[in-house]
This record gives sequence, C-alpha cells and structure tokens, in this order.
Amino acid sequence: MRRAVLFLAGLLAAHAQAGWQWEAPLDVSRAVGPAVFPHVESANRKGLAVSHGTVGMVWEDNRSGTPRCYVAFRPTDAPAFSADSPVSEDECYEPVLAALDGTGRFLAAWEAAGGVWVRVLPAGKPLRLGTAASAQVTLASRNGQVRAAWAEQAGRYKRIMVATLSVKGDTVTAQSVRPVEAGEPANDQAWPALTLTAAGDVVVAWEDRRNHHTVPYGSRAPAGTRDYAPVGRLSDQRSGRVDGLGAGMGAMRPTLAAWGENGSVAVWLDKRDFLAGYDVYAAFDAGGRFAKNLRVQDSFGDNMAQWHAGVATQGTRLVVAWDDARDGTPDVWLSTWSGTGFVEDVAVPAASGPGEQSDPLLALDETGALHLVWLAREADGTRVRYARAVWR
Amino acid sequence: MKTFLLAACLALAVPTAWADPPKGYPFVDYNAGLAAAKASGKPVFLYFGRYGCAWCDHTNKKTFSDAGLKALYSEHYELVYADAESGKRITLPTGERITEAELGVRLKAFATPLFVYLTPQGEKIVQVPGFKTVRDFRDYDRYVRGGHYKTQTLLEFLGSKS
Repeated sequence: MRRAVLFLAGLLAAHAQAGWQWEAPLDVSRAVGPAVFPHVESANRKGLAVSHGTVGMVWEDNRSGTPRCYVAFRPTDAPAFSADSPVSEDECYEPVLAALDGTGRFLAAWEAAGGVWVRVLPAGKPLRLGTAASAQVTLASRNGQVRAAWAEQAGRYKRIMVATLSVKGDTVTAQSVRPVEAGEPANDQAWPALTLTAAGDVVVAWEDRRNHHTVPYGSRAPAGTRDYAPVGRLSDQRSGRVDGLGAGMGAMRPTLAAWGENGSVAVWLDKRDFLAGYDVYAAFDAGGRFAKNLRVQDSFGDNMAQWHAGVATQGTRLVVAWDDARDGTPDVWLSTWSGTGFVEDVAVPAASGPGEQSDPLLALDETGALHLVWLAREADGTRVRYARAVWR
Repeated sequence: MKTFLLAACLALAVPTAWADPPKGYPFVDYNAGLAAAKASGKPVFLYFGRYGCAWCDHTNKKTFSDAGLKALYSEHYELVYADAESGKRITLPTGERITEAELGVRLKAFATPLFVYLTPQGEKIVQVPGFKTVRDFRDYDRYVRGGHYKTQTLLEFLGSKS
C-alpha cells in the first residue's frame, strides 16, 4: 500500500513539474486604438506559422478605414516582431499563412474582391485561385508539398475546392484545381480545414449543411492522387428531428492537423450539449474515417461556452487551444493529448486574468516549441499578442 | 412535367423549413436592419437563430405563427435575423466588422434561439434566450417600447406587472 501511495505521489509530482514554460509575451501589431479592430479568424485558424526559425503572423484590421490584411515576422531569437506590412492592396479578409519548408519564407492567402488569392511573401505577386465567387481560403504545407482549399460558389451553394500549389522563387502557380465532391452541392459547404499527413495524403474537413443543420464533414486523397474518397461525417452525432422539430445539433469551424504515421486529428466547436454553448470536440482519423468523438475541455468548462478552437501537432505532441470565460472573463486555455485522453485544461498565463483574452491561434515548430497568438481587449484598444513556450 | 415541377418546388422549399426566420415576417440581415432602425427610429428585434435548431423551429411554429404578434412586431420593430454559425459579415455600431457567428461570442450566447432587443442606435436593451410564448413577447414589447428598461430590469418589470 505504502509503495502504491509513493508511486502515485511520484506520478503526481512529475506531472505537476512538467508543463509549458512561457517566455515574456510580445505585441505583434503596433496599430492599436479604440477604433482599430484586429481579427485573426480564418479557415483552419491558420494565421500563424513558423518557417525555419522565423515566426510569421497575418491578421486583418481596419486602421486604414477598411479591413486590410497585414503580416509581421520575428526570428525566434529577435526581441520583437518586425514592423508589419500589408499583404494585399485591397480590402482583405481572413488571411492565412503557410511555411515554405526550409527556407524561412511563407505563403499567404486571403479573400478579397469576392475571390481568394495567394502569394509568396514578401515579394511575390498575387494569384487568384478559382474563378467563381470564393471565400474562406486555407493553406497546408509539408515536405515541399503545398495545398490550398476554399469555399467556392457552384450554383446555389458553395462547395469546397482544393488546389495543388507550386512555388518557384517568388512565383506561385496552381494545378489540379478541383472540388472534393463532383457535382453541385446539395447545400452550403464552408470553412475548410486542410492538412497533409506524414505520408503525404491530403485530408480536408469543412462545415456542411446537406443535412439541414451544420455538420463537420471530411474526405481524403491519397498522396500523389487527386481522387477524394467518399465524404464522411466527423461528428458521431446523428442528424434528425427532435419531436418533429429542427434537423440536428450545431457544430462549426473544424480545424485539422496531421497526426501519427498517416492520420490526422480534427477539432471543432460542437453544440450537442445545447444548453451550455459550444464545447470543444476532437476526433482522430486513420485511413479515412474519423473515430469516436472526444470532448476536449475538462469538466470545469462544462457549463460554459467555448469559442475559437484550434489544434496543432508536432511528433507525438498535440495541443488544443480555445477561449472561455469560466473564471469570469474570456481567457485562453490549452489542453494536451496524453496518449489516452485530453488532460486537464491550463490557462495561458499571459492570456488569462483580468480583461478579455481570446481568439487563440497556435503552432508547434519542429523543436516542439509552442507559438501562440491571441487578441487582448484592453481599455485603449485590442492588441494582437504573441508568446512562445517550451515543454519542461 | 407536373411531377417534376412539384418536386422542384419542394426541393427549393426545403431549406426554409429548417429553423430560419419565421415565415411571413419582414426579417432582414443585421446591417440592413440597423440602417433601417437609424432611419425609422424603431427599436431592433434581433432573432439569433441556428440552422436546424429545434427550439427555433418550435418557437416559429408555436409563437410566431400568431397573427397578432406578427402584426405587432412587423409594425413596431426592425426585424433582424442572424445565423449563429454563419460567416456572413456584419458591422457593429462601433464600426467593428465581425461575422454573425462572432456576434454570438459578443452576446455570450449559450443557446438558440436568443432574442435581443436593441435601441435604434444598436445599443442592447435586453436579451432573452430560449422558447418564449406570445404573451412573453407582448410583455417584452411593453418593456421595450414603454421605455421601462431605462429604470427597471426586465425581471423587475415582469415582477411588478403580475
């Protein structure tokens, strides 16, 4: 008995000691004011990326009087982010960023003028993806492979498109632009998430309204092919009326990251517990089908709405971030995958406490360091903040 | 041909049968409704719903089907509908551009339907979540258009009238 108690105490002590050790937080944008409103929302919450030791961050704000997108960089050993610069010349929404492997450079994509665009930063020219009205673009890159996905008008509704992108110098070109599903969609598809698995398969997830409520759906194309498997639900909840009413519970904003040898993990907001706002749910896929859904946040967040969930992975590390107001005001929370479940939630020190801290974006770099961006709403305006952490 | 037309009509009709705004009411989107309220001086009645929401469907069928309520709210309010999961862009009175889904974050919405009353300038008067009866909506109307919200909470007002 004594041995068992000592073992348990040892386990608890080890667990208590290990955790994210945070560096001092930094401001990303210097454009702050009571009428300046920065936003970091994007498809797959991909405004933050790390490329060969440089952190890149894109966001949208209205400092010029109209919504425009900006980018700032920080070599991980630099004391501050660079001065920001515009991503595009026009009104711009929901920008995303992807690392170009081994170069310290980035690819940005965004919505402008009813279409979606992509360009190599800092000097490349914008390329429009697709020809029909489009929105909610996202990017994924791995081992020299780059893909883009977006929602594009096809008849009455939007559907999810995927393109292979090639980058040579500052020039980006798009090949094999095609819908995940052939034919006109039966209802709206939106907010795609995208990842490339370790084996090079392309996994796509999105919001889908074919069942007359919003359900996260997904599909996969094997490496080197353009053939997407028949689509399937990420959610293990059934659609259907309740006592002849409605069509099913809500879910929204799926995010994806690669996981394991050839799998992925999806994280989304889910309203199956419909009286407590959205909860954060996750599901792993291996080989094309998403398995049993797992609730991510712990029981202390049960009676609370969770918002702005995202996921990042690196090797065997998997981190989920979101915001909720369980301590009175919105704070940024993290949960990590233990191998068997999501462990108890941890507030990010610089992104919690008095005031409002929300809208996290996260990325894990090749060393396993965690990079986090969030919005801090303060009396004199909203700041885009950043902090880096290592697991010790 | 007749069968084909019937099938086509049914197919087109399906999306409106799944908990969007109640039928026959002049609901418009957030930006249009706020602009109309500024011009008309009427308060805004914001219906924050969700596509496929069972309780929204129930409220539409049980409550908003009342002809008197429809006349009352159509005449005295600018009616705005927002979808809790939509990426549609709206502009708040502060000038901030957000999505309809993000409006749910700002309203601290935990369930749909959520009904929000706003001044003609877009300032929140009161919000009430969940299924409500015709009588409830008539009480809220008296609270809002009677100006009672300036001196009483909704609970105080409802307590004092009973």
